Amino acid sequence: MAEKKQYNRRDFINNSLRAGIAVSLAGITVALTTRALSGKSVWQLNPAKCVQCGRCATSCILETSAVKCVHVYDMCGYCDLCGGYLRPDTKELNTAAENQLCPTSAISRKYIEEPFFEYQIIEELCIGCGKCVKGCGAFGNGSLQLQINHKLCVNCNQCAIARVCPSEAFSLVSASDAYLYQGKKM
Amino acid sequence: MQNRTEKIILTIVIVIAIATFCYWLYYNPVKDLTVNLPGLDNRPSKGESADTMAVIGEKFKEYTTYTSSLTGKWPRFRGADIDNINKEKIKLIDNWGSSRPKILWKTDLGEGHAAPVIYNGKVYLLDYDERKKSDALRCFALENGIELWRRWYSVNLKRNHGMSRTLPAITDKYIVTIGPKCHVMCCNPTNGNLLWGIDLVKTYKVEVPLWYTGQCPLIVNDTAIIAVGGNALMIGVECASGKVVWKTPNPDNWKMSHSSIIPITFGGKKMYVYCAIGGIIGVSAEGIDKGEILWKTDKFKPSVCAPSPVIIGTGKLFITAGYGAGSAVIQLIKTDSTYSVNIIQQYRPSEGIASEQQTPILYNNFLFSIQPKDGGTARNQFVCCNPSNCKTILWTSSKADRYGLGPYIVADGKFFILNDDGTLIIAKASATKFTLLDKAKIMDGQDAWGPLAIADGYLLMRDSKQMVCIDIKTK
Repeated sequence: MAEKKQYNRRDFINNSLRAGIAVSLAGITVALTTRALSGKSVWQLNPAKCVQCGRCATSCILETSAVKCVHVYDMCGYCDLCGGYLRPDTKELNTAAENQLCPTSAISRKYIEEPFFEYQIIEELCIGCGKCVKGCGAFGNGSLQLQINHKLCVNCNQCAIARVCPSEAFSLVSASDAYLYQGKKM
Repeated sequence: MQNRTEKIILTIVIVIAIATFCYWLYYNPVKDLTVNLPGLDNRPSKGESADTMAVIGEKFKEYTTYTSSLTGKWPRFRGADIDNINKEKIKLIDNWGSSRPKILWKTDLGEGHAAPVIYNGKVYLLDYDERKKSDALRCFALENGIELWRRWYSVNLKRNHGMSRTLPAITDKYIVTIGPKCHVMCCNPTNGNLLWGIDLVKTYKVEVPLWYTGQCPLIVNDTAIIAVGGNALMIGVECASGKVVWKTPNPDNWKMSHSSIIPITFGGKKMYVYCAIGGIIGVSAEGIDKGEILWKTDKFKPSVCAPSPVIIGTGKLFITAGYGAGSAVIQLIKTDSTYSVNIIQQYRPSEGIASEQQTPILYNNFLFSIQPKDGGTARNQFVCCNPSNCKTILWTSSKADRYGLGPYIVADGKFFILNDDGTLIIAKASATKFTLLDKAKIMDGQDAWGPLAIADGYLLMRDSKQMVCIDIKTK
């Protein structure tokens, strides 16, 4: 009759260590495989961390920043008094230049029906200064958000804006899921 | 030869100069620029709205009769003394104990922020009935939430950050409401009988405020006091007859804000203070000059103003507004029989106590508020200051205790604070520091902004679509 082998504490520790190493290796393998399959990484900024300091407009290596304002329509209130479009102290709610918050008039406003207005970003004019994002976040629903436009971004090894971003809002994300809007993706 | 060369060079220079001049003359360096002028959004001109005329109070339905032995009253916006402090001698809970707060009753409402008043065991609320597209004055029993009657009239509204957002004013004989599109209605609170109605847009050419009316009416000596805009700045309407007994002119064409009228007495004179879109005004509330302008200032004129003025001293008022406006402290001055205004403090929201939507509370000589989103490092925190210097904040709730645009009220020495998501917070009402006693999620909704009401130990609160009643009496 075969003698039953004693399973002592040393065996238990050895087996546990082996199992731990195996699980770790498997995890690393899965992570690396997933990353390899998902393609390259690209820079993107997280709107939840963005403090609208204005450096996106001035620190990008491109002549006009690749960071642009995007409008997440499902979050918008379509207000007449839009904190992202109008200066805070404006008295007239109209399209006159002196009432607009955007320094380049990159937001167009269109009457839909009383009392709603639609706001569209004119991307060619947007310099990514974030003034509208700040206004929208302060008084509205936060539907205006800054994002790196990957049709324009040259994806530097080290993003020049990420280097100076005070809130560390920039990170590398998978190119297959390159935008980090809050709210529904457009 | 040399002469000829000189002539050629001279000719070339002249030709180049003429060409350069012509180019300069005809070149338009701003040809690619567009001019941003008013009207590029295709907004239709005023008066093109196809709104149908409302027949105020046209329909009525009684569901059941009810009598109550309760005598508690929360009869208007910010309570009987317009200070948002419940002064009943009823002991209220400090915490929720081990169990979740028990909801006595709840009822569905139209989307909005309109809040109830309480009077002798009955609850009154000007709701918006989305199905019938009507403003509806609804009366409920406080103890069980059964609807007793409703009076309504058709008004077509579109969702615009909620629809309803006002509180009625009630006395023994009258209840006065203002609907989202400036329809004023007066009824008998006992049986719901219609007494009269005024369409302010039709009668006074009022511009309906952004996101609809937020002003809550006031009843003083059986006269409804309404801030108007348009052809009059303020009116006094006799509740019994609906007759306009006095009318304040509006020479500066100021507009109706979301703020409500506050009665004050200064220099032995009763007056009504109102923060309009355009400036702040004091209107005589008594004597032969009743309804006349006593003083006004346009030194502080926010583009949107929801909070009402807060009395913080003798003739001293704290006025705050959102959307970057900040706050101002004004001091009234009486010289012989004339009044003037001195701005003591005026600052941005990040520089001192401020509020975007709710009216701050003066309690035990200290001012309490929730800082707006643009309130700097203290943003969204519950804060306290000594009104002698509103720029110095004594304490804040903490970064972990941030709140939204929801209401807060003082009762039994405690603050009851409602967060946007329906979480009700109980905190000690103290000027020393912020002491959180307890909190509990009461509702699962959003935008819980309607003011709280407490009477007879019952607390009424709402989110954007539902009103609930909880018993907060100590067992």
